[in-house]
Amino acid sequence: MECNGCEIRPELYYDPDFQIWARREEDGSLTVGMTDYSQSIAGKILHARVRKPGTKRPANKPIATLESGKWAGPVPNFFDCVIVEPNEEIMKDPTLLNLEPYEAFIAVVEPVNGVESALTGMLTGDPACEEFCRRAREEGWECSRDIR
Amino acid sequence: MDFDEAEDQLVIFLMTSGPSTPQRCATPFYLGSLLAAMDCDVKIFFTMEGVRLLQKGVPEKLTAMEGGKYIHTFMQEAKRSGVELIGCKPALPGYELEPGELIDEVDEVANAGRLADLILSCDKLITF
Repeated sequence: MECNGCEIRPELYYDPDFQIWARREEDGSLTVGMTDYSQSIAGKILHARVRKPGTKRPANKPIATLESGKWAGPVPNFFDCVIVEPNEEIMKDPTLLNLEPYEAFIAVVEPVNGVESALTGMLTGDPACEEFCRRAREEGWECSRDIR
Repeated sequence: MDFDEAEDQLVIFLMTSGPSTPQRCATPFYLGSLLAAMDCDVKIFFTMEGVRLLQKGVPEKLTAMEGGKYIHTFMQEAKRSGVELIGCKPALPGYELEPGELIDEVDEVANAGRLADLILSCDKLITF
């Protein structure tokens, strides 16, 4: 579904500020990426670096860094986790994060304390969509995948 | 150099540029954000004309290029990444500034001795 031109998918999990999404995998890992809203704020992403496989990342320590023409900084991390698989494709072509934010994941991670614990406090389903739309309306969030 | 080697290094930016050279005023915050995101401990020490960037009302109206993002926004993004901003107390009188006139993002107003300690203990020192 969309709000103010920003796509949000009910099957994913989101942090309270909708910066990142996480998807449950059958093997107990989580796939993590940046939301349509996040990529829109960042603008055209010029460079992406993701931590190596096996790297331990406590909550609040970023799993990756991004650089755009107007911003540089961390991809926030909300889980105590270990990097399983960085997405090599986004390091070769970072604009995939702009063009396909829900397909171009950043990394697969293994939550140290299990998936249920990691997803505590994350938003999902209809409540996530309703909260996203409320904030998008009230705070004037808008999205664009135009990277020209 | 990769993430693991960068981790926990103390990086000091000595910021002497100010509103008279706006083109020099965004990069330290952009680079500082990036280094902090790589787990470096980043501190920006503002001295000489750099202290004017900390004056309320100045970074909110200053851009590095026409139509660009305000320097204050760059500063706020750097702070969110974990960068600390330190103002040089001895430099303030030269610009007729009092500590109370500085923006809220300033973490500390310090003497030259603090800068000397940072210079001697840091892993990297970068001057803008």
